[in-house]
Amino acid sequence: MTTVLAPVEGEAVRLAAVPDPVFSAGLVGPGAAIDPLRGPGKAVAPIAGKIMKLHPHAYVIVGDDGKGVLVHLGIDTVQLRGEGFQLLAAEGDRVIAGQPVVAWDPALIEAGGRSPVCPVVALDADFVSGVAEGAVHVGDELFRWD
Amino acid sequence: MAERKVTVAAEVGLHARPAATFVQRAKKAPMDITVTKSHGGEKVNGKSILAIMALDVRQGETVVISAEGEGSEEVLDELAEIAGTP
Repeated sequence: MTTVLAPVEGEAVRLAAVPDPVFSAGLVGPGAAIDPLRGPGKAVAPIAGKIMKLHPHAYVIVGDDGKGVLVHLGIDTVQLRGEGFQLLAAEGDRVIAGQPVVAWDPALIEAGGRSPVCPVVALDADFVSGVAEGAVHVGDELFRWD
Repeated sequence: MAERKVTVAAEVGLHARPAATFVQRAKKAPMDITVTKSHGGEKVNGKSILAIMALDVRQGETVVISAEGEGSEEVLDELAEIAGTP
């Protein structure tokens, strides 16, 4: 079983509430989303493993069991081409759960007219359990993947 | 073995929405679906969003999508259309 941690602080919401059908319809996979606390912060690794993909606006960590978790920092943020994001790790790095990966500011994303909500997705999973709702701190349990 | 060679047209490459749409369609197919970059490299499982993301296909890159068995041609036509949609 993999315990997936909150990569950012904020309000845990259901994926269905994400304003992007790719995530809200579960096309990428099941999981949860976090409406992040506005202000500068560091998004962390939700599980231990290797950083398989690292974009400024999104990253995928793959655990030793091959399970991959996607963290997407805001919606349509690929359009920002990295502006407002600072990488704190590199692709291929091994990270522990809770290790900072990207520094960003959800308030700036929102000021730019985009939703800063962060989908956290269990890639290729059929379902997840124990999905948190309400206030979460960085590193709190967000959901479990059996 | 049937194949389609297609150049990925979406600006984000075979990521995000195009990748999710591709994998959703591939998962409905009864046969194995593999994807590889046309210039060689690893053949990955077309039904895995993780594998497709790891393949990291950028806009303008060409992939070969393969399937075998009854209905392959139809599935490959649909997958090629998804991958080739801007």
